[in-house]
Amino acid sequence: MDLTFLLMTLLKIVLICFVFAMILGAILTWGERKLSAVVQDRIGPNRASILGVTALGLMHPIADMLKAFTKEDFVPAGANRFLFAMAPMLAMVPPLVVFAVVPFGPGPDFVIAPLDTGVLFIFAIGGMGIYGATLGGWSSNNSFALLGSLRAAAQMISYEVSMGLNLVGIFMIFGTVSLSNIVLGQGQLLWGWLPMWGIVVQPVAFILFMTASMAENKRAPFDLPEGESEILGYNLEYSSMRFALFFLSEFVEIVVIAAMAATLFFGGWQIPWVDPQGTAGGWITVGQVAAFVGKVVFLCWVQLIIRWTLPRFRYDQVMALGWKYLLPLSLLNIVATAVVLAML
Amino acid sequence: MPTLKIDGREITVKDGTRVIEAADALGIPIPRFCYHPGLPVAANCRMCLVETNRAPKPVPSCHDFCGDGMEVQTATEKVIEARRAVLEYILLNHPVDCPTCDQAGECDLQDQYFEYDHKPSRHAFRKAHKPKARAIGPRVVYDAERCINCTRCVRFCEDIAGAPQLRQIQRGEKAYIDVFPGTELDNPYSMCAADVCPVGALTVRDFRFKCRVWFMKGTQSVCGECSRGCSVRVDTYKNEVQRIVPRHNPNVNQYWACDAGRTAFHSFDEGRLEAARVRGRDTDFDQALDQFAHDLEEALGKGLTPAVILSPFMTCEDAFAAISLFKTKAPGAVYSIGGREDGEADEVLIRADRNPNRAGLKMILDSFGIETAPIKTLHEAAHPVVIAFGYEFEERNYAKMAVQAAQLSAVFASMDVIGDVETYAFPAVSPYETYGTWVNEFGVIQRVRPAVKAPEAAKQARRFIADLAERLGAPLGDASLVGIFGLMTEEIEEFKGLELDAVGPFGIKLWEDAADVEAETDAGGDEAEPEEAAKESGESNKTDSAEEA
Amino acid sequence: MGKLVDRPEPDVMIQSYLPEVWNGMKRVSKHFFANLLMKKGYVTIQYPEQKIDYAPRFRGNHRLMHREDGTVRCVACFLCSTACPADCISIVAGETDNRDVEKAPVKFEIDHLRCIFCGFCEEACPCDAIRLDSGEHRVPAFTRKDEMSGKEDLLSRGGPSISKQGGEFK
Ligand code: SF4
Ligand code: SF4
Ligand code: SF4
Ligand code: SF4
Ligand code: FES
Repeated sequence: MDLTFLLMTLLKIVLICFVFAMILGAILTWGERKLSAVVQDRIGPNRASILGVTALGLMHPIADMLKAFTKEDFVPAGANRFLFAMAPMLAMVPPLVVFAVVPFGPGPDFVIAPLDTGVLFIFAIGGMGIYGATLGGWSSNNSFALLGSLRAAAQMISYEVSMGLNLVGIFMIFGTVSLSNIVLGQGQLLWGWLPMWGIVVQPVAFILFMTASMAENKRAPFDLPEGESEILGYNLEYSSMRFALFFLSEFVEIVVIAAMAATLFFGGWQIPWVDPQGTAGGWITVGQVAAFVGKVVFLCWVQLIIRWTLPRFRYDQVMALGWKYLLPLSLLNIVATAVVLAML
Repeated sequence: MPTLKIDGREITVKDGTRVIEAADALGIPIPRFCYHPGLPVAANCRMCLVETNRAPKPVPSCHDFCGDGMEVQTATEKVIEARRAVLEYILLNHPVDCPTCDQAGECDLQDQYFEYDHKPSRHAFRKAHKPKARAIGPRVVYDAERCINCTRCVRFCEDIAGAPQLRQIQRGEKAYIDVFPGTELDNPYSMCAADVCPVGALTVRDFRFKCRVWFMKGTQSVCGECSRGCSVRVDTYKNEVQRIVPRHNPNVNQYWACDAGRTAFHSFDEGRLEAARVRGRDTDFDQALDQFAHDLEEALGKGLTPAVILSPFMTCEDAFAAISLFKTKAPGAVYSIGGREDGEADEVLIRADRNPNRAGLKMILDSFGIETAPIKTLHEAAHPVVIAFGYEFEERNYAKMAVQAAQLSAVFASMDVIGDVETYAFPAVSPYETYGTWVNEFGVIQRVRPAVKAPEAAKQARRFIADLAERLGAPLGDASLVGIFGLMTEEIEEFKGLELDAVGPFGIKLWEDAADVEAETDAGGDEAEPEEAAKESGESNKTDSAEEA
Repeated sequence: MGKLVDRPEPDVMIQSYLPEVWNGMKRVSKHFFANLLMKKGYVTIQYPEQKIDYAPRFRGNHRLMHREDGTVRCVACFLCSTACPADCISIVAGETDNRDVEKAPVKFEIDHLRCIFCGFCEEACPCDAIRLDSGEHRVPAFTRKDEMSGKEDLLSRGGPSISKQGGEFK
């Protein structure tokens, strides 16, 4: 392994995980508040300032960070200190690792690790996220937190199933699980004019995937594990930076979901009808990377809008939705896709 | 025995009954200022006018006697108009000081104004000005402008207190009440003059501006200043005694109480024993008791006999519990009764024995067949073990000497006056924080009730005894008020057949003797039903049986 | 008996969630873009810098009124504390040198943490001594003690009252 490769990889990790994902996640914490304000005819955060510069309230994430760092780092009596400290990290790391296989642009240069098993890797790592929530609740030595983590575990496991099954249709159509290849596949044209994006060939799967992944991320309308305003959740005993990690991981996961959805259903870095093989280089490649980032931002926005549109489900409804509707529907989707593919 | 009709209701009364008394017996309200059931009749306010078939114009019902076949109307238009007119006349020069008047809230003039007049004044001229806020005695202050010249106070001083110190001077709108030149209203019952005053003309200095009357909660209890044991109502606010007023009891004190008893509560707040003490060191109550029980057991084991000094401030239940315990654990114990030294008796209420329950204590000791040793010579015997009870140690020098002479001594008291001479000191509740019964010199048993909450460390004696008994291995069983009272009704002759709940606001007479004849005079035909008296003095006895959860 | 409300049986479209979710998102996005592009819909007031005028009915904090000589008009009659439903006025009465009234508050304290600004105290006062018309907001404080307004504080907000005291016809 030569040094340039190592350095390049490191650079990519820094650029993608820390610059892109983390910063976008931090901005989303502001975006969420600002967006909720705007849709509710309010102004939203606009007070935090550095030397009088408020930048529409963009200083708030910085202020929040400072606050989180300076708050008391509280560990409840009787907590399992090791796991208590581990849990926020376990929640934070998987969403970052997932970015390893997401292609940001054409060719192997724009992905940290161009794995052939891309999607499977994502599921393997994504499944780890459950540990953060579960251990966080359990190790706090608080019954409410424990109940919250039970809710989290049950909900995340349930939706993991249909989330995975939803993508089988995509695999079948493009015949690969490598994300780069799926993106390339989406560069084809249907009937000579329609880009063959995942959302075109698998619209049902897209809706199911978004639903399942929002449930996986424990966000409204599926925010029962946290229930921040009343029922209390697994992160009840957390304070300071540990809490901030839980909080931030949720927003990084939004980015992850947006990036996956963009890659699988919106053609990744593809700009319709332009350079589907990604070999052009130069400004077109820059445009393609920008297109990917734009798609991610748009999908993040969609998730925020959904959050401020829908009220919370009841827990039995969450479970019923997961097992009684999403799972059968995704199975049906697979069968239908198989039938159509066989007929073509 | 005339039979008459008041507002169509028939009643037969004793000869010499006034119409207002007959109406009171029927529960028909007649407003009044100058009439007071405990005082001679003056009939000068004219508020009590009623129509009868015996006279062409309204007559004062507080003055006219009932006659056979009389028909009285108390609420005709004419009567009501007459009352309104009388009120307007009384209020003509009244300053209407109510915001600053201590009587407001229990003022007859206020009540009756709202009941019968309720009109703004038509008096458009300068009101008559008279002396205000004059301290006419050491304990009473007088406001001539508020005075309605009913002369209740004059009659009280003359006929009840036996000290004709007040008189009415001037006339017409200038009339007011004053003391004779160079004298003061300083008889030992002067505060009762303020009580009988229907308005805020005479008010009590001790209570001046202290609390508005409607904030206070009244508790029916008994005064402990002398062995008369006057029935009183203890008015409290925010867990503090604000004042003590006499409560009507035909068996004991009629309507009165002496000034000393009514101001005694001040001394019970000061110098409280705050915590249990072992050889001068503050200790946890239970811990101290553990140690004391251990020491006592050891001393008893060595064959030492304790001397028990009972206090005539103890309730019967407390004394009974104490004697029961020492009877079983130390059969040879010597008993003595401490208490305050005798003082001067007078003709009205005050008795020489300045302790409330000596009679009760004697009765209980008698029933156990115990001879008491005189307190004055107790210390000479130098008992090695002394256990002293008492709320009041200010003059208990004899008890103190006995305690000093002992090797092992325990003092159970509310006040910390005995100093550090004892081995053990345990804080007790004061008489204003006590549940129980007292028996006065004339054999009337009355209930003492807590008006305020005791400090946290303080205990009631019978609880202390029960805890001690448990530690000594001779448990008392049910140490509640009802439980011990039940035991007493079995053990004590005079208590046979008695029930705690039957001891009403007037108490119960346990025996008759020559001395009561005096107390029985002049109850009049007005004895209100006990229930009525209970109503009037607040709801405090509801909680009794549920006492001490 | 309450009124029975018909609960419409949700049809398939509603039960499938999707159209309704879509409608909801449409509405929310409409607000989003309308507010983002035109900035008209905001109702927020930038509070400390920008204040709206209070309604003329706004009364504000308590104050204690003065006599001509600057002493407090209150005669410690306790009617306000009697009327107060929140039990937040504590008065200690004492003698005063003014022989016309004899009585004055030694301590007069209002616990603003308990006060519900109902104005009963003002209505109960026979002396026009306490008023609820200072037009001042209750300022937030850092300690409970700072929320107690003492006699001096209340007097400092007060002014002379024109109504006659004592009921004297002069
Ligand atoms: S005597 Fe009665 S009416 Fe007169 S000022 Fe006092 S409370 Fe008011
Ligand atoms: S002072 Fe009171 S009791 Fe005496 S005459 Fe005046 S009003 Fe009557
Ligand atoms: S405004 Fe109402 S709550 Fe406040 S002090 Fe006055 S009476 Fe009490
Ligand atoms: S009601 Fe008026 S005069 Fe009376 S205590 Fe209150 S403020 Fe003072
Ligand atoms: S009460 Fe009868 S005249 Fe005064």
